[in-house]
Amino acid sequence: MEIVLNFPCLSILLAMFSAIISSALNRKWARYLNTFVVAAVGILSAAVLWLTITANQSFIYKMGHFPAPFGNEIRFGPLEAGMALFFAVIMLLSLNGGREKIRMEIDPGKEKLYYIMINLLLSSLLALVYTNDIFTAYVFVEINTISACGMIVITEHGRTIEAATRYMIMSLLGSGLFLIGICILYDMTGHLLMEYLYTSISNLMAAGTYRIPMMVAIALIVVGLAIKSALFPFHAWLPDAYGYSTVSSAAMLSSLVSKGYIFLLIKLIYRVIGFEVFYGSRIINVLFVFGLAGMIMGSVSAIRENDIRRMISYSSVAQIGYIYMGFGLGTAAGMVASVFHILSHGATKSLLFVAAVGLTDASGGHKEFDELTGAAYRNKLAGAAFLVGALSMVGIPLFSGFISKLLFAQSAIQSQGKALPALIVLAVSTVLNAIYFMKTVIRIYTPTDKEYEVTAFGYKISYAITLGCFILLNLLLGLFSQPITNWITQGLTILQ
Amino acid sequence: MGGNLAQNYGEVVAMILFGIGFTNLLLQKNMIKKIIGLNIMDTAVYLFLAEKGYITGRIAPIIKNGDLSPDSYINPVPSGLVLTGIVVSVSVTALMLSLTIRLYRRYHTLDLDEISTRLKKEGR
Amino acid sequence: MNHILLFPILFPIVAGIMLLTIIKYQNRKPLLVFVGTVLGVNALWGVFAMCRVSEGVTVFYLTKSLPIYFKVDTLGRLFASLMVLVWLLGGFFSFEYMKHEKNEQRFYGFYLILYGVLFGLDFSGNLITMYLFYEFMTLTALPLVLHTQTKEAVMAGLKYLFYSFAGAYMALFGVFFMGKYAKTLEFTPGGVIDPAVLRENETLFLVVALLMIVGFSVKAGMFPMHAWLTAAHPAAPGPASAVLSGIIVKGGILALIRVVFEIIGPDFIRGSWVQRLWMALSLLTVLLGSLLAFREPVLKKRLAYSTVSQLSYILFGLSLFDRQAMTGSLLHIAAHVFIKVALFLTAAAVIYMTGCKRVEELRGVGKGMPVTMWCYTIVSLGLVGIPPTSGFISKWYLAAGALHTGIPVFSWLGPVILLISALLTAGYLLPVSMEGFFPGKEYDAERFQGKEPPLLMRVPLMIFAGFTLALGLFPNVLTNILSAVADFLM
Repeated sequence: MEIVLNFPCLSILLAMFSAIISSALNRKWARYLNTFVVAAVGILSAAVLWLTITANQSFIYKMGHFPAPFGNEIRFGPLEAGMALFFAVIMLLSLNGGREKIRMEIDPGKEKLYYIMINLLLSSLLALVYTNDIFTAYVFVEINTISACGMIVITEHGRTIEAATRYMIMSLLGSGLFLIGICILYDMTGHLLMEYLYTSISNLMAAGTYRIPMMVAIALIVVGLAIKSALFPFHAWLPDAYGYSTVSSAAMLSSLVSKGYIFLLIKLIYRVIGFEVFYGSRIINVLFVFGLAGMIMGSVSAIRENDIRRMISYSSVAQIGYIYMGFGLGTAAGMVASVFHILSHGATKSLLFVAAVGLTDASGGHKEFDELTGAAYRNKLAGAAFLVGALSMVGIPLFSGFISKLLFAQSAIQSQGKALPALIVLAVSTVLNAIYFMKTVIRIYTPTDKEYEVTAFGYKISYAITLGCFILLNLLLGLFSQPITNWITQGLTILQ
Repeated sequence: MGGNLAQNYGEVVAMILFGIGFTNLLLQKNMIKKIIGLNIMDTAVYLFLAEKGYITGRIAPIIKNGDLSPDSYINPVPSGLVLTGIVVSVSVTALMLSLTIRLYRRYHTLDLDEISTRLKKEGR
Repeated sequence: MNHILLFPILFPIVAGIMLLTIIKYQNRKPLLVFVGTVLGVNALWGVFAMCRVSEGVTVFYLTKSLPIYFKVDTLGRLFASLMVLVWLLGGFFSFEYMKHEKNEQRFYGFYLILYGVLFGLDFSGNLITMYLFYEFMTLTALPLVLHTQTKEAVMAGLKYLFYSFAGAYMALFGVFFMGKYAKTLEFTPGGVIDPAVLRENETLFLVVALLMIVGFSVKAGMFPMHAWLTAAHPAAPGPASAVLSGIIVKGGILALIRVVFEIIGPDFIRGSWVQRLWMALSLLTVLLGSLLAFREPVLKKRLAYSTVSQLSYILFGLSLFDRQAMTGSLLHIAAHVFIKVALFLTAAAVIYMTGCKRVEELRGVGKGMPVTMWCYTIVSLGLVGIPPTSGFISKWYLAAGALHTGIPVFSWLGPVILLISALLTAGYLLPVSMEGFFPGKEYDAERFQGKEPPLLMRVPLMIFAGFTLALGLFPNVLTNILSAVADFLM
């Protein structure tokens, strides 16, 4: 059992070193190495998950020679390990589903670079999940941003470069705020490790001193991460970045990168700021309002969109809004719902992106709805997978989206004063979701006489297996949600 | 209030610089000016950190004349953070500059808004 | 042993999915044999399961507090047996009718899936299971509306979908809400919520009750959410519009009965402003539907408006919270299923044989298609409520129940509006038969010459007409059962 304790650190290092080694390999081996590393990280995380759940506690792993409070640490409990496992699984599936597209859209000389970026992304995600030190978190936030930017820009489409630039600007604004926030925290407490920060902050709050600077610092951190994860008014870069990059990038950006920041925020709320302090502040009201606005505006933009990929991207804006709405409710149940929605949305959105690319490829590469008529007959599996994803997004029972909605609604009813707006917006946003997703489903299932050149893509075995796994994952989250919510509750308790 | 500000003038300057950098990064149209704003913002944070770590009358934490007493040296951690931050900021700046070069080659302008309008006109 | 309850739900769904994906029939005959076998076998199993199983079956737990749970009770038996009958006969009718439509295999695939889903809806034993199958019913009925794939059908389908989802989410809001306050979500006559809790949050619960009532009655076409019905039902192919108008809309009514009488409890709503609003809305719909039907020239649309009106008879009966009116409502459910399915099948047979869609084209249709038109006339009389047909009995109970309650204004306004609407019903249905049999001199005799539909279409029509008469002649069998159900629910 002792050996499992090394796994989180090992998986971060594995991902990071594979990025370095990949630069010396050719594209084929870089691909193999990447697949191996992602799979290995998944297996290692599964072992850690099993250990932490059975032990029902978290572990601390000391990095280097300096003991706390000076040195750097890794900390892992069930929630962190599960999240790492989930990220690895989604990454593996997204890469596999878009593999053919990566080959088609990326210059062969640069494919290797793409896998380097993926490895870096994985290592930074793992570090964000596991780290116990806020400055390390900042560094890996930046690495995450850089690798995400590389993933967007690698297709060398005019739109993607522009989108990547906008993404970088937004992210840098966010990380600037985040950085100054943690510097102010450091200034006030003198610590960088989360436990010590937590004790100092609760002492300060109990003493009643430094209240205003504390609130400013918390606000800076929260707003910084919210900007980075594309909360509603900061989403301008998102549709272009998701809509024009290669499909694996889009799937990973929406279901991993933004979720990595959100998970970091959850960690900070529980382990640094403290649940009570956070919910005592007015910041949650701001998050609540922006979350609600995002739920509506994201869907409205999606309805107006005529491009299937951009439509799915706008739907991400709405779904991020759900997650922040869950934070804003100010209850532990709301937090559980938000964490569940991270999983559910991650699984569904990457499924939709991967399925959509099968449909567009069966329609001569067009992404406009007119051309997608009958696409589900030309690529049956992609059509079925899109249907599953759409039903889950709409919130039909048996699929994962329903459980998220259920959890959100249940926690909204418990919250004081916010129940009504939350439930109304939840219902309105669900109907809006239904409008654009069902419209698309009907469109792709309407037969047409128009002939399209059907590319070989989409009939590949690996693509089919990927879609099958995605559908299974979605049903798994929808049907057996109880163990998962139990795990989330346990994980959040241990996180504290 | 005024006395506090005068006493901590380093932090005050850092915050003002941070604000200048932030607004430049947000509002400038020209990409190069944006990047300059980014650098001002990051530098302001380093100034802030350095100001926090410095203790008047002490020297950098490099052991001199065998003096092991912590009272002679400044706090080394913020210096370490500044170094890490500089590395991050350099790499981000490099990335931004390379993106700018790409955009300039393609559209022959540094104005991001103009590029967006042109992309919208192209329709894809 | 209790798990045989799951068979009639799963078997047609599996068969339907196979028909949509794996099996490919080149000819019609094997396809029809397959569909017919599934329909028949499943009907037998369903009836067998209904008679033998009385305990509930928990399949699995969606979350700790939300089991998927099936249980058969008398209400479920009533709806399920009506559904089985219509599904069988409608299926046989469509064997002939679907000859002139494309994509038959897809039609039958969804027809079978819907068969299983409806069994699930009728057998569901708690709120969450019912909601699950309610949503699936909405979704699987959609391809039937869309079947012809014309622009009109697609628009109608979208309209249907948005209205249904809007309604379903209003109801879902209530489901979440009930989930918090109720001890259990299993259907229990009299309600599952502690009366003390109800009194404490009275306004809140009344609003939630209203939302659930309005949400579920979207399916039953109650004003102001009725517009989808008159768009979607005429757009579907003949047999599909028959089952939509006969059975699917009753799904909304079943859900409504379950929620009002077995979750919230009738005592809580009785006498509140929600009850008055409900009564007012349903009476308004009765009148509005009849008036609109009266003006409508396209036969199928006229029948759809008539459905809007007739369903609100049922809703009105329910909203009275009276034993007699409740019996009337349940009777009218049975009566309306037979009548409306028969009417839509007649319209389908006429379209199939002659291509005539508008009422004024039907002059002299009785000369060429006497059997069809006789069936039409009998069931029309039933819908108007002329003895000795089933409609008379149900309306009698409804009116008597309304008078018996003694609610101010509504106890007399209700019967008056029912009467006016019955006159309007006569006004929009009977001229078709009159002009059909007595066209006068100037009509195109050639058009209908020898156009009597084949046996496969005629026999289901005759059976439905027969049921309408039989229910009117020997009402005691059913009224005894139904008034027992009403007693049980009150």
